[in-house]
Amino acid sequence: MLCAVAADAATTRNDDSCDIAMLPAATLLLPYFVVDVGSPAAGAKTTIFTVINTSREPRIARVTLWTDLAFPVLNFSLLLTGYDAQAVNLYDVLTRGTVPQTLSGECEAGGPIPSNVLDEVRGALTVGRVTNCGSGAIGFTHFVDAIGYATIDVVKSCDAVFPTSERYYDELLYDNVLTGDYEIVDRNPIAGNLAAGSPLVHIRAIPDGGPAGLVTRTSLPYTFYDRYTPRTYGGSATMDRRQPLPSVFAARFIESEAGGLDTSFQIWREGVTNGSASCRDYYDRNYHYLQMKLTESERFDEHENPSGFRCRALCPAPYPHLPPTSTVPSSYALFPLLSVSGGIGGWIYLNLDNGGSGTYSSARHSQNWVVVTMSAEGRYSTAYDATALANGCTPAPAAGATIGPGPNSTP
Amino acid sequence: MRHTIIAIALLCAVDVSAATTYNDDSCDIGVTPAATLLLPYFEVDIDKPPKLARTTIFSVVNTSQYPQIARVTLWSDLAFPVMNFNLFLTGYDVQSLNLHDVLTTGAAAGMLTAPGDRSLPNDVNPNHASTLCDRFALPPDVLADVQAILTTGRGAACPSDQAGMAHTAAIGYVTIDVVNSCNVTFPDSEAYYGELLYDNVLIGDYEQFNPDPVIGNFASGSPLVHIRAIPEGGPAGVNVATNFRRTFYDRYTPRVSPHVDRRQPLPSAFAARFVQGGKGAFNTNFQIWREGLSGGRTCADYKKNYLGSAAALREFVRFDEHENPTIRMSTVRILVPITYSTLPAVSSTATSSGIFPPLSNSGDVGGWIFLDLTNPAWVTSSMNAEGRFAVAFDAQTLGNGCSPSAPSETIGPRVNTTP
Repeated sequence: MLCAVAADAATTRNDDSCDIAMLPAATLLLPYFVVDVGSPAAGAKTTIFTVINTSREPRIARVTLWTDLAFPVLNFSLLLTGYDAQAVNLYDVLTRGTVPQTLSGECEAGGPIPSNVLDEVRGALTVGRVTNCGSGAIGFTHFVDAIGYATIDVVKSCDAVFPTSERYYDELLYDNVLTGDYEIVDRNPIAGNLAAGSPLVHIRAIPDGGPAGLVTRTSLPYTFYDRYTPRTYGGSATMDRRQPLPSVFAARFIESEAGGLDTSFQIWREGVTNGSASCRDYYDRNYHYLQMKLTESERFDEHENPSGFRCRALCPAPYPHLPPTSTVPSSYALFPLLSVSGGIGGWIYLNLDNGGSGTYSSARHSQNWVVVTMSAEGRYSTAYDATALANGCTPAPAAGATIGPGPNSTP
Repeated sequence: MRHTIIAIALLCAVDVSAATTYNDDSCDIGVTPAATLLLPYFEVDIDKPPKLARTTIFSVVNTSQYPQIARVTLWSDLAFPVMNFNLFLTGYDVQSLNLHDVLTTGAAAGMLTAPGDRSLPNDVNPNHASTLCDRFALPPDVLADVQAILTTGRGAACPSDQAGMAHTAAIGYVTIDVVNSCNVTFPDSEAYYGELLYDNVLIGDYEQFNPDPVIGNFASGSPLVHIRAIPEGGPAGVNVATNFRRTFYDRYTPRVSPHVDRRQPLPSAFAARFVQGGKGAFNTNFQIWREGLSGGRTCADYKKNYLGSAAALREFVRFDEHENPTIRMSTVRILVPITYSTLPAVSSTATSSGIFPPLSNSGDVGGWIFLDLTNPAWVTSSMNAEGRFAVAFDAQTLGNGCSPSAPSETIGPRVNTTP
């Protein structure tokens, strides 16, 4: 039952900023994970994330794992006592069914995931199939690699509701207290031997604080969970109060076969399915060349030579498009070619706006996040967030507009 | 080598309103285009060949179509400004610098080049006073002096005082500012604030490499710290009103206009994760940048950035994975000799160091450390394991640079004040 009263925020911790910063937050986004579930632990690629409760009060964090087509496949709750830190190795979760055990009253959750459920989860994340969806693909096929993304929200109970359900917004809390980071470790000494890490994406609730299920005014024009939030029975499209993510990025690259230099972009994109999506919708819509198109990409080498594509209304189909989460080498044909200058480094302008969707609460750009991972010589690897050229409250520029920093609107 | 500029800039003392549309008046430090970039810590083995030497590489990107000039200043770990040079960035330019190259050859890129097809001509930035930018090259004797200051803390500019700490590697930090000319003024000179510009157009990242296959063989990287000018835009030397009560360059700015740089202040409280020991032989270092306390007007001032009560750290609390706290605190006690825990302006310190609280006796090897560094600061967690894995990422800030200090007994997120 959602409270229909639009109340003012009862909080002092509100800076009403759309900027995504590394400050304690109410939602953490792991924009991309990969786990080799077919190899023994000593040689398997895995993703490890850590969640910290920076406050002295206990908190419950709901972890939701999504496929790369934004199908929510598994959730579990972490009971974080005051100042707690919990590390989760997704290899342990997806191969052994181990989730951190919590031992308090109603939150006696955790413990091993039943093997039949675990098989379903692995099937969803590796080959995109679950029994309930029959032949409908709810994720891509990548054999032994389980690929997807994770959201971590402060909630009021250890329930098992997913963010795609309207009921979730009766449980969601608004305390900006969580911080976290993640590491992607490739232990294989031949193909990997690398690790890279970065902070999780810290998405604040603005204003913060207060009970679950309360519709509190926010100045944010739309929110992170916009397409899932309840629109009926006293709900509100902005009821999650989560900061929206931006759509335009500058991502640096370096690529050279001779020097063994590689760059890949881990790109998270807001899908277009909402809570009423059918199984077929996840592939048909969240990877549709029109609905998930990229607006513009421009590569600048070290001599500022540009090469790019722009997707205006009449550009030939199929448009360049990407699913809700993916890792894409910067040398991939999706991005503009290297210039003929011989420069092996530079940066790529990415306008990832999909042009909007009928499932969004308004005519607006889509949300995105980009992480740059560089590796070299089979022994060096780094990862860091690409730079957002404007925040999520700033409308995405049209294709062909002047490239540059946007006005960082204060909501 | 440091040039002593004694000319005082003619700073307009008039408070004028911001003529900008790009102004979100936020103290939050995000990874968005900025007017100043901070490389909070560098470490370079200048006495080793490139194949074995630890080094730090950073890149600066101009995200605008206008040409920009970026002034790069290298500081010692006691916040002594050692050398500077300019990067002329044509529209959409990117320049990468390997500090091993800079500190062993005395040269860097930065020459004016032809603009690309989508970039504007190099002479159209209305805020530029000059675009005359010579290629940067240090004479051998000056380069030797730079190397000496960054490794031994002693140099010709301050022959009898410590201007840095002593270590075999060159250690310090770097600031990168948008400016209006390829001058050689330093940020600790008032004249600098007649050159500083306010365009939030720069972005950048850095990587630290340890190529030695025996003791390193890994790399890690992170974005530079992106410090915005708010409000942004406009010419140099104009004292535009800002809502900040203090700014990044606060201690160097002219006293008649202390916030003339308009740069966001950095926070002082952090939550930094550690993992230390265990089967994987984990190590965590915190690379900590701290605002110095001295404006650095004389050579004798720089040691104040490490010694004495003014450089003291307020509070560290370590929480293990079972939330067991252990503490180490600087407290003021009347009539009792006080031993302060201090850190210099920049440092890399293992979490196993005695400056941090000890591990609890729970057996946990991981957790997080609350750091109240008293002054504006920045913290990066650098972790490595098994001699082959390494990651680095910025620690979480528990408030922004406009947040008031919290009482020491209250650890937690602070009020994120909008200025």
